[in-house]
Amino acid sequence: MRKPSLFTICFVIFVASWIFLRYIVGSLISVPIPNSVIVMYMALILIAILVHISVEDSRLSEFLRPIIETLVDENKKVRRIVLVVLIPLFMLGYTYTNIAQKASPPGDPRDAHPSPPLELTYKDEVIEDVENPYRHLEKDNPEEFKSHVENGRRVYYDNCFYCHGDHLDGQGHFANALNPLPANFQDPGIIPNFQESFFFWRISKGGPGLPKEGTPWNSAMPIWEDHLDKEEIWDVILFLSEYTGYSYREVGH
Amino acid sequence: MRTSIFVLSIIIFLLFSVISISYAQDAPEVSEQGKEVYEESCAHCHGVEGRGDGSAAENLLPRPRDFTRGLYKIRSTESGQLPTDKDLFDIITIGMPGSSMPGWETSLSADDRWEVVSYIKTFYEGFKENETPPKQISLDGKIPYSEESVEIGKFFYTQFACFECHGNAGRGDGTSAPTLQDEWGFKSWPANLTENWNFRGGSSTEDIYKRFIGGIAGSAMPMFEDASFGLSVEQAQRYAQLENKVEMTDAEDEEFNQLDENMGNAYDILDMMTEGIANDEQKQKHAEAMKVFQEKSWHIANYVKSLAPEKRPEPAIGKNVLRSQYTVDTLPTIDDAVWDTLEASYFPLVGQIIVEPRQFNPTIDSVNVKSFYNDTEVAFLFIWDDRTNNTEEQETEDFGKTFVDAIAIQFPVKVPQDPTAPKPYFLWGGKKAVYLWQWKASAVNSVTELTAKGITNAEIQEVQGDIQAESKYTDGQYRLWVKRALKTDDKKDLQIEQGVFVPIAFSVWDGANGDIDTKRVISSWYSFVLEPVPSSRRFIYPPLVALLSLGILVGLRGFVQRRNT
Repeated sequence: MRKPSLFTICFVIFVASWIFLRYIVGSLISVPIPNSVIVMYMALILIAILVHISVEDSRLSEFLRPIIETLVDENKKVRRIVLVVLIPLFMLGYTYTNIAQKASPPGDPRDAHPSPPLELTYKDEVIEDVENPYRHLEKDNPEEFKSHVENGRRVYYDNCFYCHGDHLDGQGHFANALNPLPANFQDPGIIPNFQESFFFWRISKGGPGLPKEGTPWNSAMPIWEDHLDKEEIWDVILFLSEYTGYSYREVGH
Repeated sequence: MRTSIFVLSIIIFLLFSVISISYAQDAPEVSEQGKEVYEESCAHCHGVEGRGDGSAAENLLPRPRDFTRGLYKIRSTESGQLPTDKDLFDIITIGMPGSSMPGWETSLSADDRWEVVSYIKTFYEGFKENETPPKQISLDGKIPYSEESVEIGKFFYTQFACFECHGNAGRGDGTSAPTLQDEWGFKSWPANLTENWNFRGGSSTEDIYKRFIGGIAGSAMPMFEDASFGLSVEQAQRYAQLENKVEMTDAEDEEFNQLDENMGNAYDILDMMTEGIANDEQKQKHAEAMKVFQEKSWHIANYVKSLAPEKRPEPAIGKNVLRSQYTVDTLPTIDDAVWDTLEASYFPLVGQIIVEPRQFNPTIDSVNVKSFYNDTEVAFLFIWDDRTNNTEEQETEDFGKTFVDAIAIQFPVKVPQDPTAPKPYFLWGGKKAVYLWQWKASAVNSVTELTAKGITNAEIQEVQGDIQAESKYTDGQYRLWVKRALKTDDKKDLQIEQGVFVPIAFSVWDGANGDIDTKRVISSWYSFVLEPVPSSRRFIYPPLVALLSLGILVGLRGFVQRRNT
């Protein structure tokens, strides 16, 4: 087999890089790379190729040789005709699909975990504790702590599991119709990143209590201070960490 | 010699491993571990004592299984039999779609699930007494899915009177549907066969077949009985054909009587079989009749399979967003065939559990929407399944208290200008108002305009605009057609512009399910757009670009040629 020409090598590298960025990286990190980033990378790769071939005159002419041959050589006629038909056809299709593309609906930029207000309240009452008032029982009185967790379990299955699910994974039987989806407490990025007081705020004020960047108009999370008392909310917070095995971020960290 | 001993020992070893695998199919001895897992993961719905009365049970329909009665819905075993251990294990593993029972594969190890199987069996004495394994339904003689089989299945669907509960089109809207209760006296709706993603025991043809060969224990779904027992598929069809004839010729009369007699004989043999006095020939005949019955059942299974789409439709977001299509003509009316050319956008619905009174047990799964618009008006077709047509508030002995079916379509009064701009609260607005079209089954051809600033804070607009509406209820399905001008003079109305994405949301009430006021099913915000008429530029620019690239190629060739010479 003949050694591939410099042009073929460059062409293959260019196309392979694009496929790698567009499809392979996207599926590896499960989020596709934005088009603008791909264009940037591709521009860099193109520049690298151009630099490579233009360092020496001989390399440049080796690179250009197959192009020139295709354009003028008599025995490359078939290839020439095929390309003269294919390239304009490709351009036709490409521009058409770009122009005929349908408008896409606006995205909903939403901060799922916005900053809580400076003051923690339950209804209108200011809560001074930033720590769970029953957390200390874990060391001081394990029996009583257990009964709080059990009460939290009851609260959870009476109120929360419809959306947040039996497994606390946000896949309750009501979840599929909701947008945004209910929080997944099994996600390692949820419980360990927030203090218990943050959870107390999110539960008691619900969706409507979110600041603007949390798109309060979209969230189906009820205002639980209307249905649950303070102890029930703190207890269900204990239950969430007991069930999942994750610890909340500690105060001061 | 040595090698043969070696081979033999390998064979023996393999045999033993096969045997031990099949032993592993059975649940282990009851252990403390099973009890622990049960109390940790199951008891809050199924109750500590397995009575299906955990603290969450009250708000669930279907109710969590009561394990003390030994009635299990989803089994691979014949009617009246207990489930196999594997059946119980599978339900725990996969869960029951359309109910609140999730699959536990991700959160319990296989070991734990087997332990739980052993433990829940202790709640019912019958499992101990039963030494012989339950009789499993044979899946032999499966008839592959085909158009022809679906047609035959449709015939038997009618002949076996499936429609009495499941309705003519399979939407669970049969005449007896509203009266059905389960063994525990709880409301039990027949399955909507067009939504097979909600089938508790799975939606494969085999699953469906097992459900009616074995029945769904504790529910109103009985074990099937062959309504034309002893007749072949063709004979049964002929029998029905003759039965419906107003006048029969003598030959036909004789044929009919012959078929009738065949059936009678088959039933007589059945009686003898149950009494245990049938001879070998009769046993043979009975086995044949049963085989034909199974054949008919496979046809019905194929028919039921044909009623639903392959999978649950994708919700109307992203590429599935609701796009109203432009037409230059007048907009289609409710029965226009042109609606069939559009694919519906699917909006899943969920019980409203935010504001009291709440709906924890919704009966309406979704609403499907299609839309056309022209230069001045827009028309929508809203389609949703509801098993009963409740046109007025009623209180009857059979059905209890029922309310009026209704739907409300919600838009913001003002379309947010950019994606970050606030929308009204999705549940009928708040500080920002929403604009609503409310339709009720008590006034089928009118829609009322409302303005709401909260779910309990809606008022009828003083100026009712010119909105045309028409609705029909057929075979368990509502179709509501609404038409309005794109622009109105009323400041409280939504103004609709081409190419602008407009938020849209739904509330639906099923009167037979006790839905009224805040008790309803809802959706979150979605959006729709009047799809802009495709620009004519798409016919101009692409050919230009193609020509240009051709020109460049030719020019390049010319350039190179000149340089070479």
